[in-house]
Amino acid sequence: MRRKILYLLTVLILITVSAGAQDLALKGGTILTVTKGTIENGTVLIQDGKIIAVGKDINIPSGIKVIDVTGKYVMPGLIDSHTHIAFDMGDGNEVSSPVTPQIWMKEVLDSSHDTIRTTLAGGVTTVKTMHGSANVIGGVNVTIKLKYNHPVEEMMVKGVRQQLKMALGENPKRLYGSKGRMPSTRMGNAYVARKAFIEAQEYKAKWDKYEKEKAAGKRDIKPPEKDLKMETLRMVLEKDMTIDCHTYRADEIVWLLKFCQEFDIVLKQISHCVDGYKVADLMAEAGVSFGGWVDWWGMKEEMYDGCPYGFKIMHDAGVNIVINSDSANEGRFLYLNAAKMLKYNDLPETEALKMITINAARSLEMEERIGSIEVGKDGDIAVFDKYPLDSTTKVLKTIIEGVIYYDYAESSVTVKGSSR
Amino acid sequence: MKKKITIIGAAVVFFLGAFYADAQEIILIKNGTIVPVVGKVITNGSLLIKDGIIAKIGTSFKAPKEAKIIDAKGMYIYPGMIGPLTAVGVTGYPGAGSDTDEIGVSTPHMDSYDAVNPEDECIEVTRIDGVTTVLTVSGTRSAINGKAVALNLAGNLAEDMVIKRDVVQIFNTGARARNGYPSTLSGVNSLIKDKLNQAKLYAEKKKKKAESPKDFKCDLEMEALTQVLSRKVPALFITSDEVTIRNALHIIEEYNLKGIIFATIGILKFAEKLAAKNIPVIWAGTTTMPQRWEAVDKYYHTAAVLAKKGVLFAFNESGRPGSRNVRRQPVPASLSVAYGLSEEEAIKALTINPAKMLGIDNQVGSLEKGKTANVVICTKSLVQLSSKIHTVIINGKIIPKTSVQTRLRDKFKKIVQERKK
Repeated sequence: MRRKILYLLTVLILITVSAGAQDLALKGGTILTVTKGTIENGTVLIQDGKIIAVGKDINIPSGIKVIDVTGKYVMPGLIDSHTHIAFDMGDGNEVSSPVTPQIWMKEVLDSSHDTIRTTLAGGVTTVKTMHGSANVIGGVNVTIKLKYNHPVEEMMVKGVRQQLKMALGENPKRLYGSKGRMPSTRMGNAYVARKAFIEAQEYKAKWDKYEKEKAAGKRDIKPPEKDLKMETLRMVLEKDMTIDCHTYRADEIVWLLKFCQEFDIVLKQISHCVDGYKVADLMAEAGVSFGGWVDWWGMKEEMYDGCPYGFKIMHDAGVNIVINSDSANEGRFLYLNAAKMLKYNDLPETEALKMITINAARSLEMEERIGSIEVGKDGDIAVFDKYPLDSTTKVLKTIIEGVIYYDYAESSVTVKGSSR
Repeated sequence: MKKKITIIGAAVVFFLGAFYADAQEIILIKNGTIVPVVGKVITNGSLLIKDGIIAKIGTSFKAPKEAKIIDAKGMYIYPGMIGPLTAVGVTGYPGAGSDTDEIGVSTPHMDSYDAVNPEDECIEVTRIDGVTTVLTVSGTRSAINGKAVALNLAGNLAEDMVIKRDVVQIFNTGARARNGYPSTLSGVNSLIKDKLNQAKLYAEKKKKKAESPKDFKCDLEMEALTQVLSRKVPALFITSDEVTIRNALHIIEEYNLKGIIFATIGILKFAEKLAAKNIPVIWAGTTTMPQRWEAVDKYYHTAAVLAKKGVLFAFNESGRPGSRNVRRQPVPASLSVAYGLSEEEAIKALTINPAKMLGIDNQVGSLEKGKTANVVICTKSLVQLSSKIHTVIINGKIIPKTSVQTRLRDKFKKIVQERKK
């Protein structure tokens, strides 16, 4: 008898140990892997937060939590590579100078911010969040997993290059122009950016010299003075950090591509980029991602040539296309925007799905970790009740590294009955 | 001389011919799934358009010889969508200046018709996505704003576009003024009531004009408001929350107005009352961000509740007018269907419901014999955002599928391809 109890206890302990918090099996759904086709009636097995098996006949180890998703659609968690969530927009812009690379968004993250909850309901698992576009050289963005209410440290993605935000065009012009300061023109924007990077080159040279001498064992040398603005730009010059630049007009895009060549810095994404289709070939050649909306246009002068038909031109030219939200509100509707993109462009449906998953991962340099359902990748999943490009679909579950962060059944008035 | 006569004769024949062809344009749409909105869905249906009007609708009938045939096999045929609160036609291109929201806290005498520009590029962009009719407003940001005009989005002159003028008079119970009175909600409420009271007196004086002409002086502001008091023109109230809805309803009741409520938040508390009093709602809050304590799908689900409670409602894609993206009308419909509204109700809220509340349902909003031929043919349901628009017909004429955006597409597709070579 005693032995039996002991045996039972051992089994219980084993089960609790093996069934970790980050273990999960999704069984019976239509799996849209995005990169490796569709699997009907398949299983995705997640262990320790990573996808360890995907396919039709997957053996689910006993004790692992199984969710039956028969008839539902399973796709990689959606990714938004340009948004403004998870912090108070009061901290949205450091408007004291057009050059503020010393500002880091990670300092203001709030993991219980309500915009995380609402974005999760749109199936989004990873975002790059940032301040606004007041400054030509703004601050450093932060890429986070939407682990609502968890410590901020756990949300921040580690081991990838972060991105510095730049903004050209009317926003910095309007803000500083209205204060009677430079920049109030596009020439001013160009000057401000160039001046900052020339200073950064000089700063870097000083530090390079110092470090070289120090390494050579030279004595009695003093390190140059540290400057946090220049430290960030030095990281960019050393390619330890990349750039996401907000711009609308084609002429500015061309200017920006040349500027980044001039300083030998890495431009990962051009955001908003409504004129991107006009210079699609040049963007493809430079290997920079388009990040933008599908059908926004005409809200201001520089946005007038926004064109929802431009996606096909960019796709055919070989541009990595990412659909972004740029806002907490739109961040909930990435899948609807992917569907909308198809209305205006004769492109395969998989391409639409890529624009909200793997392409975004590529822009964040995380394509080895997220953006598709493949063995070895993070267990970040969105479960939809219908095909995600059917716009009467909805998100049932949002899962990050094997943990459910959004569950429609538990948080819905549609399910639980109407409330006022 | 003879030659001259021949030329003139030829010219006359040519013009008459052109006129004749124009007036007699006959179009037959066949083999499609017709969703007339009023009446049952017709599979494999045919629709005949003649003289700008829907002449016949049914399963199969022979086309007149001269008819242009559109084969809609595998496609859906809907009445054109209606944008119930837009600034299409008056927002202009950048630099042209905006013509909405005249200065003043009470400007009921402003008429959006006076500023309609048929060359506004927004018209083409909007109509080729299936929105064929809009209500164009003169403003919404003052306590008392101007009149609105209902337009079909086709025509060379503003007058060719008009379905109806003085469709509604717009009030805003949440329009606190930035400088000066009324800077509070109570102030806004009082201002509107004061003006309506004045208009009552004005109407009485006007009645007695023959007896005591000295007492009466024409006042366009008051003229506009008397139309609202006599229920000739409905009063559309822009609201922004529960309080502003309540105030609007009080004014509607107190002055016995023909009211319409435009809402983004707080409407469900009033659903029973709105249904009982037949006050329709322009529901513009589907994409409102929920508050921290509200369920994430509260606003996606609101339309389903409104429908269930019997409130007549229409979708508006944006929480504020002046958007250049009226073509996004299907977005709130999609979301609402995802969260509990029937597709049938959703389509109504894009077509016949707005037509009813704006009093233009005798002409547009459904596919019925005798109505204006505003027709959209698309590859999937109207609530599917990936549904491609195949053909748009307004006033019985096929609309060219061109806009500033298709022209940009064609231009730069070529440029990019050539540069690549």
